[in-house]
Amino acid sequence: MANNCEAIQELLTEYLGETERLSEEERRHVELCPQCCEVAAGENALGLIFAGVLPPADLTMASRVRAATHAARRRRRLLALLPVAASLLFALLGVVMLGGLPGGSLLALLPVWSSQGWVSLAASVGDWNTVFTTAAGATTALLSPGVLAAAIVVSLLGFAVVAFVARRWRRVSPWHDID
Amino acid sequence: MKPGICLRNSDVETLYHDEAVSFEKASDEQLVRLALDGEEDAFTVLVRRYQRRLTAFLSQLVGDVELARELSQEAFIRSWSALERFDPKYRFSTWLFRIGHNLGIDHLRRRRLKTVALYRTDRQGDEVELVVEDHTKDPLGHFENTELAGSLKQSIDGLRPEYRELVMLRHFGCLSYQEIAEFKEMPLGTVKNKLFRAHAVLRKALEAFL
Repeated sequence: MANNCEAIQELLTEYLGETERLSEEERRHVELCPQCCEVAAGENALGLIFAGVLPPADLTMASRVRAATHAARRRRRLLALLPVAASLLFALLGVVMLGGLPGGSLLALLPVWSSQGWVSLAASVGDWNTVFTTAAGATTALLSPGVLAAAIVVSLLGFAVVAFVARRWRRVSPWHDID
Repeated sequence: MKPGICLRNSDVETLYHDEAVSFEKASDEQLVRLALDGEEDAFTVLVRRYQRRLTAFLSQLVGDVELARELSQEAFIRSWSALERFDPKYRFSTWLFRIGHNLGIDHLRRRRLKTVALYRTDRQGDEVELVVEDHTKDPLGHFENTELAGSLKQSIDGLRPEYRELVMLRHFGCLSYQEIAEFKEMPLGTVKNKLFRAHAVLRKALEAFL
């Protein structure tokens, strides 16, 4: 019987003396057992005391959290642009080092049936090619072979950093379907 | 829906489209999923749902209700920032409480490093510790019955540390036995047994109020 009492008293502790949550048989036991009955009453009173321990609600907390999360989200968006900007910068550097885009020949590569849209696109690429080629010429003239080699190393390191950051930032969805 | 069960997409679709189902009625898991989908109100509901419990738990941990509010706020911000890494194997409640608990422990560590004991010398030349009482920071300062609040604090402080933490999680954090077992990574039976023993001590200590 003692073991039974302990098991029931454990339940009474969990339910804070609410005998309604016990089974019929357990309830009958509590009614007949003075020790369990005393525990039930004590737990009930303890439950009433603990019911008042929660502090009043902080009505502004939700809006403060919201404001802080907005700021964090803005920061995160800006940070998310960094790898993109770095990639563009390094790609541009690579193009410059390789001597610019393969300019006017792009037009020749287009299909014969290309429409006016293709032509204007190729023309604008051609314009950009002039800019890149000039920049590449100027860079090659300004940089010594040693500096150029160092720039290549920096570019490779940059790509490695971008790849590493992209791996870390890959979204991992914590949800998986159960069907 | 039982807590801890992953959602089908259709469950979330229902929440989006059925206006009769408000966020307040949604489970934690549904709200987390909605928050991940960019629904900010869903996270606000989680904040409202847990702020008093987390603050009560942390105020017992750090002994200062205002500081506990700040730590709770920080815990919510951190949980929001890390929501994508939330593992649905666990409950949101235990995850949030773990973040809050870690913040509280970090704070206590820092405070211990910075603490300077305040002493003054009395007329006899003996050193007397200065006690600065501030009831607005008292975790149980909102209790109308100050005598009961004092006895409750004393009886909880008098518990063995392993019992005290479980009582804090159960009655201040309002976590279920199952949630406590998850939080403490402890078998459910052990949680039941320890809380049973802790309650026996509390019942005795608070006999005059029961």
